[in-house]
Amino acid sequence: MAKKGGRRGGNKADREFVSEAEEILETMRGRLADLSDCLGAGAEADPELVNALFRAAHSLKALAGLFRFDPISGLAHKLEDVLDGLRLGRVALAAPLVGWLDETIALFGSLLGQVGDGAALSESAARIEQLTAGVAELTAPAQPQDEFASLDLDASVLRALTEYEEHRLRENIRRGRHIALVDAPFEIKTFEEGLAELSGALRESGEVLSTLPTPGDALESQIRFSLLVATDLSPAELTARIEFPGAAVRTVRAGRAGPRPPAPAEPAAAPAAPAMTPAELAADAPAPIPELESLKSISDTVRVDIRKLDDLMNLVGELVIQRGAIGDLIARLGGHSETAKIARDFTKMHKALDRKLRELQSAVLEVRMVPLRQVFEKVSRVVRRLRRELGKQVELEIRGADTELDKLIVEALVDPLMHVVRNALDHAIEPADERRALLKQETGRISIDAFQRGRHVVIQVRDDGRGIDRAALRGRAEQLGLVAPDAALSEKETLDLIFAPGISTREEVSETSGRGVGMDIVRSNLAALGGVVDVESTPGRGTAIAMTLPITLAIIQSLIVGVRDRRFAIPLNSVLETLVIDPTAIQVSEGRSLLNLRGTPLLLRRIDEEFALTGGARAVRPCVIVIGIGEQRVGLVVDRLEGQQDTVIKPIQGPVQNLRGISGATDLGDQDPVLVLDLSALVEDALRRREAA
Amino acid sequence: MSSAAPGSWEELARAASSRRAAPAPAEPQCQLLCVRVDGTPYAVPIENVREIVRVRPITPIPRTVSAVRGVISLRGEIIQVIDLRLRLRLEPAAPARSNRIVVVQVEDGRAAGVLVDEVREVLRVPESAIGAPVVADAGIVAALCANGSEFVSIVDPQRLLEVEGRA
Repeated sequence: MAKKGGRRGGNKADREFVSEAEEILETMRGRLADLSDCLGAGAEADPELVNALFRAAHSLKALAGLFRFDPISGLAHKLEDVLDGLRLGRVALAAPLVGWLDETIALFGSLLGQVGDGAALSESAARIEQLTAGVAELTAPAQPQDEFASLDLDASVLRALTEYEEHRLRENIRRGRHIALVDAPFEIKTFEEGLAELSGALRESGEVLSTLPTPGDALESQIRFSLLVATDLSPAELTARIEFPGAAVRTVRAGRAGPRPPAPAEPAAAPAAPAMTPAELAADAPAPIPELESLKSISDTVRVDIRKLDDLMNLVGELVIQRGAIGDLIARLGGHSETAKIARDFTKMHKALDRKLRELQSAVLEVRMVPLRQVFEKVSRVVRRLRRELGKQVELEIRGADTELDKLIVEALVDPLMHVVRNALDHAIEPADERRALLKQETGRISIDAFQRGRHVVIQVRDDGRGIDRAALRGRAEQLGLVAPDAALSEKETLDLIFAPGISTREEVSETSGRGVGMDIVRSNLAALGGVVDVESTPGRGTAIAMTLPITLAIIQSLIVGVRDRRFAIPLNSVLETLVIDPTAIQVSEGRSLLNLRGTPLLLRRIDEEFALTGGARAVRPCVIVIGIGEQRVGLVVDRLEGQQDTVIKPIQGPVQNLRGISGATDLGDQDPVLVLDLSALVEDALRRREAA
Repeated sequence: MSSAAPGSWEELARAASSRRAAPAPAEPQCQLLCVRVDGTPYAVPIENVREIVRVRPITPIPRTVSAVRGVISLRGEIIQVIDLRLRLRLEPAAPARSNRIVVVQVEDGRAAGVLVDEVREVLRVPESAIGAPVVADAGIVAALCANGSEFVSIVDPQRLLEVEGRA
């Protein structure tokens, strides 16, 4: 490739490039999945699909060129060539082509990743080279040109056809359709509308191959156009169908197929695009590709760095706290008879301010929201690919794709959701013969439902597969020593074992669902977002996995705890559970405090000892907060649970910076800030001491 | 954020300037916020003072030096509070109504609250009135300034904010 990408990325321009290019890439991935569906179904390449891919490749080339990422624009140029070849029939739609496209698009993905990381693109030069070399093998032998000899068409018309139009014409001849030339006069003043109307009518009955202005004996105020059309209708039927004054239909080549009953349009000829604008119709599909297309944004949206929105959110948070302080002042004013009247007026203003602040807060939150649609589309593509690869009959239903979530959460949700869906497809849905034997519908169903519930969004993945085998799950957990053989577990506790590390009830390892790493990763990934995951399952009937996520991360839920005379905040997303215990339940082993948590020893740390707190008194019955950081579990012993609260965590400014175990502080509005515990540091310290002991 | 809280040093500054005869305009002036700790006057250059607030609930930070009393919330911003008494290795005193927290900010943007017994006034002194401290050691006092019969110890804000180590 031309130039090695030695430049460093990570600056604003690069980020802009990456985000725009990723959008294009996303479109390409979608179209490619549809294209491979065409191939899988043995159908022809839908010309609209190929055109869309071609346009996307072109946009990517122009964009990468603009930002001077030469390796990317070079590869995009090759991609454009290959897709052009497909458009024009020089490249056949076959497995090697789809494979090449797959690899190329994947390489774009990793190249964009490198730009995002500020890495040099030169490392990928070899792969680009390799893919470029592979292009030659895709090119199909040139087709003979003499098919047009049988056409009753003027040579000048044939000469006017573009290569693409020739290809479409050839394709339609091969399929044995009628080829007709529709000639009609149009008023010069309004010819665009007229032409659009006629093209639209023709498109309903076939494919418009070319639109050519025709010299002829038209009136002075008129202009004639000839439309070359491929159709399954006979000339008489076509004439009747288009109902256009002055239009003459002439058969250029009679097709093999006899006239069909007035059937709807051939799918390949009129791909679902009924709502085309007159301009598009006048230009005739496929539209010529405007050279500067990609330089102009398509939508009237603004890209904003999520961090700027974080800043905005912080400001709003501060305003909310200020408002609280004003409320206190008003209460003080109201306490004196001489100021009580002013206090009442203030109260009114305060209420108005309060309302506006809430509106502002939700407006800022709303800006961060994106619909789940993008994620669901990704999942749906993977499902389509997997069911081909696994040879399973599965239908995917998606509901609630318009449900919105914080952008950061949507990004982080992709992997866990994909994992759950893959599990359902790979393990839960039985093969068709097994389903038939069970008197189930042969086609399995997986549904994804998303809906909002309060300040959370629930995403539920349901399948009608075999359900979770409780005995096998229990057996595996005992084998791993996670559960004592004599432990009595409730239904829910047993099912919850699927979230335990190392559990995988199917013995074999499949590429689809990965090995060993299973639902425990899903749970910890979701916990990192402040979310939880629940499972319900009926043997033989199916499984439902519900993921509940906060709609935003800008404000996080914290557990406020009391330790002696102090308060601390614990981010709820790392809290697995809380227990009130009898102090005698705490056992000591080699100086370490332990609690028997359903047969598993849980290492305990007392917060007052950790921080050498001596004021106030300990509670008679302390609380244990079970913290999960990745695979690690530690119980923090506190005296009281004071409730949950929405918190904005702030860094602590000042001279002392090595505040081990404290990640920041939060203002709960009562002016006395509450320190937020740094759970990963506390867990790490606790475990290090365990190793040292 | 350079605006001062109302009723703070700006008023004091006005009061101070009205009490004193205006100095010759030619000589460069220094403005110092004068505070009192254990009866002794200390001062901080006014350009390092962000605001002065009443004492509010301070949340102690575990495992830090005793001179750092804890953190307060200033409109949602969380800053540490240094007790000037303890920083000067004096005995702690009972809280009083006159106690104030002076929010000191240094050039690199670091800030901390400084708890003092009381805020007295803003001094305008000519640069010539500022002299070297009695002992030029690693303490927080960078200079001395004569004010009537007594000497005011001028604190170096940079050094004031350097509180090392743990308790």
